Amino acid sequence: MGRGGETMKSAQEAKADQNYQAALTELLYQLADDDFIIAFRGSEWLGLAPHIEEDVAFSSINQDTMGHAAIYYQLLEDLGQGDADALAHGREASQRKNAVLLEEVNGPGHYLKKPLYDWAFAVVRHYFYAQAKKIRIESLKNSSYQPLADAAVKINMELYYHLLHWKTWFTQLATAKGEAPERMKNAIEKVSADMGGVLALGPKEEEMAALGLIESEEVLTQRWNREMEKVFAPLPMSLPAVEMKRGDGRSGVHTSDLDSALTTLSEVYKQDPVASW
Amino acid sequence: MSTTLSYDRLSEEEKHAHFMERIEQGDKIEADDWMPDEYRMTLIKLISMHGISEIMGALPEKEWVPKAPSLRRKLGIMAKVQDEMGHGQLLLRVAEDLMKPLGKTREEIMQDLFRGDLKFHNVFHMPAPTWGDAGLIGWLVDGAAIITQTNMLKASYGPYARALKRICAEEVFHAQHGEAIIMALAEGTEEQRALIQDAIDRWWESLLMFFGPASSSTTGASKQDTTIKYRIRTKTNEELRQAFLDKYIPRVLSLGLTIPDETLHYDKEKGKWAYRQPDWNKFKEIVRNNGPKSKDRLDLRITAYENNAWVREALSPDGAVV
Amino acid sequence: MTTNNGRDFYQEFEVFSSKSNGDQVQHQFSLLAPNEEIALVMAQENFMRRQPVADIWVVKRSNVRKMTQEEKESLHRLDNKEYRTTKGYGYLKKKWRHYEQNILDEKEILSWGGEEKQ
Repeated sequence: MGRGGETMKSAQEAKADQNYQAALTELLYQLADDDFIIAFRGSEWLGLAPHIEEDVAFSSINQDTMGHAAIYYQLLEDLGQGDADALAHGREASQRKNAVLLEEVNGPGHYLKKPLYDWAFAVVRHYFYAQAKKIRIESLKNSSYQPLADAAVKINMELYYHLLHWKTWFTQLATAKGEAPERMKNAIEKVSADMGGVLALGPKEEEMAALGLIESEEVLTQRWNREMEKVFAPLPMSLPAVEMKRGDGRSGVHTSDLDSALTTLSEVYKQDPVASW
Repeated sequence: MSTTLSYDRLSEEEKHAHFMERIEQGDKIEADDWMPDEYRMTLIKLISMHGISEIMGALPEKEWVPKAPSLRRKLGIMAKVQDEMGHGQLLLRVAEDLMKPLGKTREEIMQDLFRGDLKFHNVFHMPAPTWGDAGLIGWLVDGAAIITQTNMLKASYGPYARALKRICAEEVFHAQHGEAIIMALAEGTEEQRALIQDAIDRWWESLLMFFGPASSSTTGASKQDTTIKYRIRTKTNEELRQAFLDKYIPRVLSLGLTIPDETLHYDKEKGKWAYRQPDWNKFKEIVRNNGPKSKDRLDLRITAYENNAWVREALSPDGAVV
Repeated sequence: MTTNNGRDFYQEFEVFSSKSNGDQVQHQFSLLAPNEEIALVMAQENFMRRQPVADIWVVKRSNVRKMTQEEKESLHRLDNKEYRTTKGYGYLKKKWRHYEQNILDEKEILSWGGEEKQ
């Protein structure tokens, strides 16, 4: 149970309290949209990773993450927000609550033509995100919304591997020979400039904490920083202050990268949104 | 049980005879065992082509991974194309071990592919312009692949047989994944049905070509006699094609779909399907990387390979010069 | 900067795993990775995506002493090692029956460990 009040055992109970429902759905949209869009970006990497073995491993992480998004969209469906597939495929960019960092293209080019994707950016973005997600999920295990707390327990099982995988790539490339550390440094700067948007909980942050849905942004951010400091301590580079340079995705602010992503990922769905595919 | 041999003292002919005796009694050959050069080279060619075709085969479907129309389909096709990469991994490892005595590694496999010396399967040179193609690839292209791969499950080369066992187990999922997409389209709207029919019309000739020419006189090259001699496979190209037609024509027709060959019929006397021959000259051109999508797909692989070269250099344990 | 084109990135590792806690470890397949840490994070998803895993080992292939073909073909032994087995002791059953006792056969002895917990 959260510090703010009673545990809500079901969608039925949550829907009876308008304030609670509003904060809860807001949080679920952030969780769902974050996982959905980064899994989409990850899926564009398919066939393009540094070697075949990694291609296979990376795809599993994307599948897990897309699976987590599906769980959150289902929780939203249960709360009467609409069909999970429609929530994933049918919403406009301005309705999306994902962090801007997660919608960013993988690099120059297109996933089918001259994809000059940046592995350093992929590693840093995914690693920073996996760490933030892990901290968030630990907090959600105690969420006042029982169905979300139950989901968090399940999702948590897969995060150990995601973190281990990205942390291994991260530390090895950051301490490798040649141009790798420089590339990693650039990627760290780029990711940090928008990482604030991932750690943010948006306009309803205070209600979320007060209602015991999740701990406060401040607490979670501190934890994330502490974990990062430990990882950075032995590295020949430092962690810049995180910022939210290109806007707050939690408030519906997005870049054109999200528009093109949505066009691609909903291309078939939109041919006939009511058909069964 | 064969008698103990001292390999050093055996002549090449004796080694060869011992080898043939082993495979004829169903023994499995392992990577470090003695094998005739012809056997090794045949396997390298077959398995590296098979492996790289899996890798290249991920690319026509790649387009449809982010585009799949529901969460369930997105997850299914991600898992399916991941398997293709995984199959490539298994097969390339098998090929790489065979090439090791020749001083070749995965690096050479990739370079051979980029130069055009290592061919990939004709079907993966073709475009896949709609979601219907994504379904058709899972259903019929994978169906054809299952037929050729199960034909080699008992291959005399142990590592290949073991890789195929893993692969075929996963192909069962692929087949049903493809069928699920097709079934939804077949039972859907007019537009959805048109997606599959168009895909069949587009892919039919490639599906016939999939199994290769009936004999080397058709295209001037066929390894089927050698692979049968060495017990790598049991059936000929034409037998495999007939098995595919046996299994899939009734299924295609049962959904009310048509096959773009008005001459197609079952010849009861011969016990075989009679079909219009695909254009084998086109086949030759396609596998020479002159197919409609050959260049694009190769470019995609080359771009990815070169673009990530810094990662491999950075983590090379010994070789990098700082 | 020139290198050998990253060729040494491709080190060979053999992958082993066990299905469940208490199970023996079995060979799965081999993979290429630059070092054992990366090999370990590749292993499960490459070979055990659809099966339970309780433990994974990766071993650099160069650390495995394999047998040559000649050595492998020398592994046969004479078919006269019955004395290592219970074969030939079957008559004890009858003997013990005479003394109104049961034979302590495999089934009996292994049952002394108690029932496996389900």
